[in-house]
Amino acid sequence: MIVVGIETSTPQTSVAIGTEREMLGMVSVAGKARQESVTPALDQLCRWTGVELSQVGGIAVGIGPGLFTGLRVGIETAKTLAQVLAVPIVGITSLDALAFSVRHTHKLIVAVIDGRRGEVFYAIYRALPGGVVRGSDYSVATPDHLSAELETLPEEVLAVGDGAILYRNQLEQLGSGVEFASTSRAHPEAASLVELAVPRFLREEHDRLHDVVPMYLRRSDAEIAWDNRERSAGI
Amino acid sequence: MLIEIETENADRTRDVGEALASLLQPRDTVVLTGDLGAGKTTLVQGIGRGLGVEDHVASPTFTLVREYSGRLNVAHVDVYRLERVQDVVDLALDELGGPERVLVVEWGDAVSDLLPEDRLRVELTTARDDADTRRIVITPHGGSWAGRWERLEHAFELFRRNDGDAEPSGAAG
Repeated sequence: MIVVGIETSTPQTSVAIGTEREMLGMVSVAGKARQESVTPALDQLCRWTGVELSQVGGIAVGIGPGLFTGLRVGIETAKTLAQVLAVPIVGITSLDALAFSVRHTHKLIVAVIDGRRGEVFYAIYRALPGGVVRGSDYSVATPDHLSAELETLPEEVLAVGDGAILYRNQLEQLGSGVEFASTSRAHPEAASLVELAVPRFLREEHDRLHDVVPMYLRRSDAEIAWDNRERSAGI
Repeated sequence: MLIEIETENADRTRDVGEALASLLQPRDTVVLTGDLGAGKTTLVQGIGRGLGVEDHVASPTFTLVREYSGRLNVAHVDVYRLERVQDVVDLALDELGGPERVLVVEWGDAVSDLLPEDRLRVELTTARDDADTRRIVITPHGGSWAGRWERLEHAFELFRRNDGDAEPSGAAG
């Protein structure tokens, strides 16, 4: 089964093609034009790997938490592909993908993504044979808050993700010591999405197309407290 | 700390924006507040001119966001039409225009919780007895403007002395 992975939750865009047996190819690129690079990267990957889109059996897409602008492009591209090719789709969180990429550890894993505005998105995982299992909610908080939470954990921690790297100083103040994953693991990779999605496709545990939406950890149902707009409009 | 200026026409309001632009740095946020027609977009036109934006700066009220490139990029946002906090979150203000841009938010007061702590507030009021005259009050929020405040005051000192007779930009002939 050939699966296309599309990951756009962070300043790096990553597109991969793989099967249950191997990764056929992956393109990851960071920078200004990253949002425009999803479709060209997929096109190029198809050419390099000789895969025709008609052979693709499923789409795996990163749903954040992360940067909205990238996520919208990635998720819309993935949904359009799934619809046009009439294949199933699976949404996977960026934090799951990050934790999965460092699963060969005996430590607890904290996946941390820079949420901008001085906050991070994070979740805590335990490695199991063949994968990771999440042991916390998906959360958003300041690095200091995360640092305090990690301090309460009884075990050593491996921190992974661009948020961990950005706030390394705050997180390193911990008494027990935190290990930091390599910078080459700073961003969730589309290859991880493919690997995580394949068993779900095989078990037919896909998502419904309209359920695949960006994960908003800062969701707010509040109304804007307009106190001067109506007066201004003369209402 | 505040700077207060009076302008007698739209051109002068634009000049205020231009004077302000000379002190702007990447990642700055400017919040504009004032009633409809107070000249918020006019002032942003001046900021755009000061930052070397060549495109025409128009109101973002209906597009919500307009982005311009110049010496610094400008992300010009208007939240006037929005009702829910989530609508503003969805605009992803901190992702607009790349990290080196200046963010200008019309009606930003109402959503200040979603804006960077470090920002400059510019309030425009129409004078009661004169439809053309605007009172403009500039106040800093957060630390980054403290170091620039004297220079900003100086820029507006020159601006006042200039009195609108000459082009403050020194429009080269």
